[in-house]
Amino acid sequence: MRELLLVRYGEVFLKGQNRPFFLRKLVDHVREAVSGLGGRVWLSDGRIYVSDFTDMQACIRRVTRVFGVHSVSPAVEMEKDNFEAICEQAARMMAPLQGTFKVLARRSDKRYPLDSPAIMREAGGYILEHVPHLQVDVNHPDHEMMIEIRSHAYLSVEKIMAVGGMPMGTNGKACLLLSGGIDSPVAGFMIAKRGVEICCVHYHSFPYTSERAREKVLELARELSDYCGKIRVHVVPFTEIQMQIHEKCPENYTTLIMRRYMMRIAERIAREEGAQALITGESVGQVASQTMEALGCTDEVVGMPVFRPVIGMDKSEIIERAEQIGTFATSSLPYEDCCTIFTPKHPATHPRVELIRKAEEKLDSQTLIEAALDGTEVVELG
Amino acid sequence: MIYLDNSATTRPFDSVIETMARCMRETYFNASAAYRPAVEVERAIRACRQAIAAQVGAQEEEVYFTSGGTESDNLAILGVASLLRQPANFVCSAIEHPAVLETIRRVESMGHEVRVMPINRFGVVDLEACASLIDEHTALVSCMQVSNETGAIQPVEQIARLARAKNKNVRVHVDGVQGFMRVPMQMERMGVDLYSLSGHKIHGPKGIGALVVKKGVRLAPQMTGGGQEKNLRSGTYDSPAILGLHQAVLEMGQRRAEIDRLRAMKARLWSQLAKAEGVRLNGLPVDDPCSAPHVLSVSFEGVRGEVMRNALEGAGILVSTGSACASHKQKVSATLRAMGLSTEQADGTIRISLGMMNTMEEMDEAAAQMIALHKQLQAFRRR
Repeated sequence: MRELLLVRYGEVFLKGQNRPFFLRKLVDHVREAVSGLGGRVWLSDGRIYVSDFTDMQACIRRVTRVFGVHSVSPAVEMEKDNFEAICEQAARMMAPLQGTFKVLARRSDKRYPLDSPAIMREAGGYILEHVPHLQVDVNHPDHEMMIEIRSHAYLSVEKIMAVGGMPMGTNGKACLLLSGGIDSPVAGFMIAKRGVEICCVHYHSFPYTSERAREKVLELARELSDYCGKIRVHVVPFTEIQMQIHEKCPENYTTLIMRRYMMRIAERIAREEGAQALITGESVGQVASQTMEALGCTDEVVGMPVFRPVIGMDKSEIIERAEQIGTFATSSLPYEDCCTIFTPKHPATHPRVELIRKAEEKLDSQTLIEAALDGTEVVELG
Repeated sequence: MIYLDNSATTRPFDSVIETMARCMRETYFNASAAYRPAVEVERAIRACRQAIAAQVGAQEEEVYFTSGGTESDNLAILGVASLLRQPANFVCSAIEHPAVLETIRRVESMGHEVRVMPINRFGVVDLEACASLIDEHTALVSCMQVSNETGAIQPVEQIARLARAKNKNVRVHVDGVQGFMRVPMQMERMGVDLYSLSGHKIHGPKGIGALVVKKGVRLAPQMTGGGQEKNLRSGTYDSPAILGLHQAVLEMGQRRAEIDRLRAMKARLWSQLAKAEGVRLNGLPVDDPCSAPHVLSVSFEGVRGEVMRNALEGAGILVSTGSACASHKQKVSATLRAMGLSTEQADGTIRISLGMMNTMEEMDEAAAQMIALHKQLQAFRRR
């Protein structure tokens, strides 16, 4: 008899002929997640099993953060031949619980002398008899004792929901514009969850933003790496571009022109990284640069898809999501990022793209972008 | 690197580091134990008590070791408040460090009244207003010795005298964290009952400080345990830190003449900055006897203090905006606003604070960098 984790996967089930590819990736990621905890990981009977770990709680925490995992249950594995012993073990596991329960059974070993309804009946009766403070409720039980008969018998009560999504690296790679605010980490998380590998770009405006602002962004990337594995962050020096824009362009357009430069540089970095799309934390109408016309103006300079997964979410919904993911506290630290510091008093909400193009002619774009890319520092986290 | 943030903390003297390392390696014994090596540690701790007492005009048995300025302030205020049987009032200045201000707020929630002494445009407590606040129900008056934001030396002696004249039972507490060993303190003569000090502001270790309590002043302990420090502050003696503090006090004492050097450096720095346009000194003139020798508050027109600080960091010069304890809160300093600065001026302020390890050359270099960066950054401002 030993303790292990039973890991269920979600959407990968829906895959057809390429399911083995997805599963292989998923098992790899689970293995990576528990590697520091000495866990052994294998795939069998449509489940992933994790055993031989040093710290079960840490293991659960990490596995539930692997994209593609649906849920995790701590389980007991035992010999299946002695049904009496199985019932005893089930009763032992139920004893500390309160309220109502039912027993569920699944039998993939069809030669097993008891069929599923019989297992449920027998084990349920045993528990009821030996744990008198529990009652049976087959419709809305507080607890479900799951007994599975496979190569061994597996007993589990608790089921911890995981993040879901698709295994990391099964859907290409995208480059996230990470500002330090609340929205962009959520946006990155949502796309990463679909199996997309992530790299990040951050624009740093020293001395207008401090070392702490940079540290904050790296911390956010590290928090995302809990889910996505290693993340590379490209820290781009952006002050010169902002100063030039501020000096030479009409004030009400400075933010939008700045956004366009951010997109241009991000695209260059994305191509170098082998990424096929950009991700931003924009939400329609949230600020002046996120009106529909403004978004159109920023998209005009990008030659690859721009994903904006929080586009239709309210701020409160984004915050809720950030809290779930665990990035909210860091995002709320007060250090200014480069977007808030150069904000014009009256930014254009209905910009005209020909005016923007004209304003940009005053800037030596090529030189500015190359200089920013030359000065870019790459930090790897996770 | 030029380190000009000595009011946040100082680099320990080499002699302090050596003393502490030796103590951890060789005389690590619990000072309360019965065997001989422990007795020797106790003797060394006593020597530190004597050294501190000599600096502040007190007796050795009046020195109580704590974990630093914050704990000393808490112990002084809560120690007085906990013994009160009836509602009373507590008076403090408007510019106290959060260690005092937040503790006084706690006292308020215990049912006592809090009265705040306003400051004038030089950042000095207004004595007239102060006199009207103290009455027969005042339990404690607390005022810092030196403002951590502007370096203004506060008239604690006059405040103590005023307070006593109104109420002979009043207790006078002085938070001396920014003043200890840089500005004179004679508790007996000045009428101070309770004095907080900290080790790491005088090139000693962090995590050690003391509260000096005049004989006859009763305090309720805020920590219970093994009964160290005559039951007022339980906890095993942090002997490496206490010995380190002792060494710092000794070296500061030997280098007493250098306090004038600090003052000269401050004057030199300001004389350079004053030549540039759009640079404002906040508070008292640098040669005013009430201006502490080591703290300088300066506003740069048209440049936010935070941006100036970052830019100076880029040039290898470390300063802080306002005071480090408050700078992560990103609020405009209440002290500076109370001194009549506009929000923009207050927002454009940095604090420069000197220590024994700074040199005159550093002042010239820092001033030149500040002026150059100010010009550069000023050219580029919000339209």
